[in-house]
Amino acid sequence: MFKLGKKKKEEPQDKKSILTVTLNPAFDHILFLPELKLGTFNRSPETFRMPGGKGVNVASSLAMMGQEVVATGFLGAQGSRMFEESLRKIGVTTAFVYVNQEIRTDFFVIEDNKNRQSLIVEKGIPIELRYLNGFKANFERLLPSTELVEFGGSFPEGVSCGFLKELVREANKKNIKTVLNLKEKTLTECMEGISAFLVYPDLRESKRMFGQDIYRPKDRLKIVEELQKHGAEIVMLKYGNLNYLVATKDEIWEGEIELGESKIMIGIRDAVLAGFISKYLETNNLGEALKYGLGAGRSTAKNKRNHPNSKKEIEEFVLMAKVKKVS
Amino acid sequence: MKKVRDFMTRDLTSVTEETKLKDVAELLSMRALSGVPVVDHENRVVGYISEKDVILSMFPEKVKIENPDVIGLTNLTQVINRLGRVGDAKVADYMDKNIHIVSEGTSTSDLAEIMLQKDLKRVPVVRNRRLVGIVDRSSLSCILLEENGMEGVCR
Repeated sequence: MFKLGKKKKEEPQDKKSILTVTLNPAFDHILFLPELKLGTFNRSPETFRMPGGKGVNVASSLAMMGQEVVATGFLGAQGSRMFEESLRKIGVTTAFVYVNQEIRTDFFVIEDNKNRQSLIVEKGIPIELRYLNGFKANFERLLPSTELVEFGGSFPEGVSCGFLKELVREANKKNIKTVLNLKEKTLTECMEGISAFLVYPDLRESKRMFGQDIYRPKDRLKIVEELQKHGAEIVMLKYGNLNYLVATKDEIWEGEIELGESKIMIGIRDAVLAGFISKYLETNNLGEALKYGLGAGRSTAKNKRNHPNSKKEIEEFVLMAKVKKVS
Repeated sequence: MKKVRDFMTRDLTSVTEETKLKDVAELLSMRALSGVPVVDHENRVVGYISEKDVILSMFPEKVKIENPDVIGLTNLTQVINRLGRVGDAKVADYMDKNIHIVSEGTSTSDLAEIMLQKDLKRVPVVRNRRLVGIVDRSSLSCILLEENGMEGVCR
């Protein structure tokens, strides 16, 4: 221990962290039911809550892999203590900006007898200008100890593409890698004028990007090319429930994830990204990184939570993951 | 024996010297905290500001003659009016620069000694002077109880 201002032997250079930005996080409420009966009383025999949102899912998964990770974003102050505590418990460092509002909640209803999932999402909390300024200053303070920034999820009211672009440019200025893990529509609207190290469009709703169909192999390659033209060094795509593709200008790899009997699909897509990032930063090897991502995804599928069970389980699944180089 | 890194709160909530006192008051209220570290533009700890410092800013003359722990609580309207006046003042003018910080490798016994000796409620944890977390009395006491055989005390 030491007093501020007194000279102390400098500690060894610290390992830089991964920073995840979730501008519109939510508490995910998972409700299990044998069957949802509309218009009448339903009692859920099992429920739990967990911190959610694309960036938060990525942060949770990275922490389970032993990565040093900091999660930031806007958080409604009321009801958020448990949200942050849950993240810290698994090793995520929190740096959220509190907004004087109630935390957003999303509801997942999982019907065991119907093998069906339904999702009800709340509107995001409105963000005032003063909080945007506070967030930007906070973000800039975190950058000197950051290796990579992942931006995930949707925008709350009051946040625009312009704000995201400012953050991405600030990171790029400091030679920090950026990852855009955004809905296709948001990505298409916001990517003009910025470039990212890795782009991972969420095509679950649209199934299409740049007018191309994600399910057709030739179209997928056109999406990859288009994203590369926008400056993406690596493009990652998910098509269907099981298939993933990663591409650079030099090579393309594909892989298929095994989900087993999993009924909960929450967080799998983000865990694959987290696994990929974690391994790629270590090895620079596209195929190995995809394998690790698939292992992380499968471990998440086995977990009721939105992150892998453990690093050990990921490594077991990595041994079984099948990937192939397609070009 | 456990080290600070094993039980610190991995939270980077902080303000800068440029933050306005009214924003500190809002932050402390929203997060139910007694104080936060003050950091520079690279997240290096440069001081600490507490709720007591915010209250002191409203009653600069009175503090010299009365117990600062009880001021401000007798007349809420007075407090609000004064905060309106000093709310735009900057943290730099009221923060405590003479503070203690610890590294992640500090032992529980060393931490306990300094917190008790100096009557500290919360102590910033740093790595190369950059904020990486915070330890407070409640997390320290629960870890000390666990180290002395009372399992399951800490959440």
